[in-house]
Amino acid sequence: MVKERATKLAAIGAIVASTLVAQSRAEYHFAVGPKAGISVSNPYGSISVKPSPDNRVVVNAVLHSDKVEVDRRQTGNRVDIQSHLLAGADATSGRVDYEVQVPPDASVTLHCSDGTLHAERLHGDVSLEGAGAAVDVRDISDAHVHVKTMNGTVTLSNIQNGHVEVDSLSGDVTLNGVTGPLVQVVSTSGRINYMGDFGNSGEYRLTSHSGDIDASIPEWTSADVSARSVRGEVHDDVPLQPKAHTWFPLDKGRAFAGTVGRVALSSTVVLRTFSGKIHLSKRSEKQ
Amino acid sequence: MTCVELQESLAEVEDGTTPEQRAHLRTCPACSALVNDLNLIITAAGGIQEADEPSPRVWNSIEIALKREGLIRPQRKAGSLAHLLFAGWTGRWLVPAAAMLLVAAGLLVHQRMQTTDVSERTAFTVPIPNPSDLNDNDLMQEVAVNAPTMRAAYEANLRQVNESIRDAQSMVDESPNDEDARRSLLDAYQQKSMLFELAMDRSLP
Repeated sequence: MVKERATKLAAIGAIVASTLVAQSRAEYHFAVGPKAGISVSNPYGSISVKPSPDNRVVVNAVLHSDKVEVDRRQTGNRVDIQSHLLAGADATSGRVDYEVQVPPDASVTLHCSDGTLHAERLHGDVSLEGAGAAVDVRDISDAHVHVKTMNGTVTLSNIQNGHVEVDSLSGDVTLNGVTGPLVQVVSTSGRINYMGDFGNSGEYRLTSHSGDIDASIPEWTSADVSARSVRGEVHDDVPLQPKAHTWFPLDKGRAFAGTVGRVALSSTVVLRTFSGKIHLSKRSEKQ
Repeated sequence: MTCVELQESLAEVEDGTTPEQRAHLRTCPACSALVNDLNLIITAAGGIQEADEPSPRVWNSIEIALKREGLIRPQRKAGSLAHLLFAGWTGRWLVPAAAMLLVAAGLLVHQRMQTTDVSERTAFTVPIPNPSDLNDNDLMQEVAVNAPTMRAAYEANLRQVNESIRDAQSMVDESPNDEDARRSLLDAYQQKSMLFELAMDRSLP
């Protein structure tokens, strides 16, 4: 009995040891100038980008086997990092997890097919793309934020003065405190959840073909809102000043349009779905 | 002046033709026809409105697809244009080409609806027999090779986006003047185009 247990423990130990041996770490440094361009492409694994304290790009990579290597190239003010899968690599052995520090004003482009993409505290343009990638972007200001996913979830938090475009086929999209001149989400079947005040004088267009759209706004919001579901339902818990004229039919329960707050500061908010539900609600919150 | 000399000289003349060109054109029907065609193109191009320009997103999508195929990679070693264009001409090219075709189809639909007057809109039909089936097999073949573990997800999303195209199309058919319907159709095409782009994601193995 004791011998059998010892054998099992030895086997487990060997497996763990082989995993640890196969896993390796690498660190790369690049000196860049202002507004550098950083691109990271990683088929399997996560990419996390945070600001660096100086004009350096620091790449920490955890390679999960020797069947993958990190190709890197610097051309002037541009740094390209690419996970290079070698023969026989698969989703497990080809996995690389990156932690990247970039100057806050750098433009960042991240690609992965199935993993997580994360960027925070930057004010350069951010572009994230991956079929099954779960995307998490937070604390970005004065920048473009472009996201493309197939079924990965998308969470954007505290994006100020952003030019935000999210395209997702079936992944749910959550926007929390996202404002800017343009905020646009297009989805086929994903659910869209907006929590925020729609900023000032921006254009907000949230569209899902069959997914539900929920927008939750504080009392001080100023917005010119139109909502329409062709085959679904719309609900609003917000007192709107109805518009005298709309170019689409205001069928009860299928559409509403009106203004909330001060007209002069209003953003334009368009909520559209074909067969999903739309719900505009007010939440209590201190300014 | 020979035909070759004339054709080479066409790009250098900005205002009308030179006496040598005119003399050649009087005696050469082939070159004369060519110049007539060029003049027609110039005239037609002058009539293109700014509003006919595709959105920046369309150009961006095309640029991304071309970059992924290495056709406009700036660091590429110099070579002939024909080599650059056809060196990567394999089955893989079909997918971004299909994506561009989808965008073009969506634009065509959108622009036709924008330029068609109200009386014509009631009888509007999309000139593509079944756009939602366009090159789906190519897409799935690409996924089977590049990302077999995600095949089911791609199939499900492809089915959904095709349904959205059909729904949006039926909405347009019911209400041809409905701006939302037209925009929904364009969005649906762009979503499908994005699916093709993702299938060709450069980070895939």
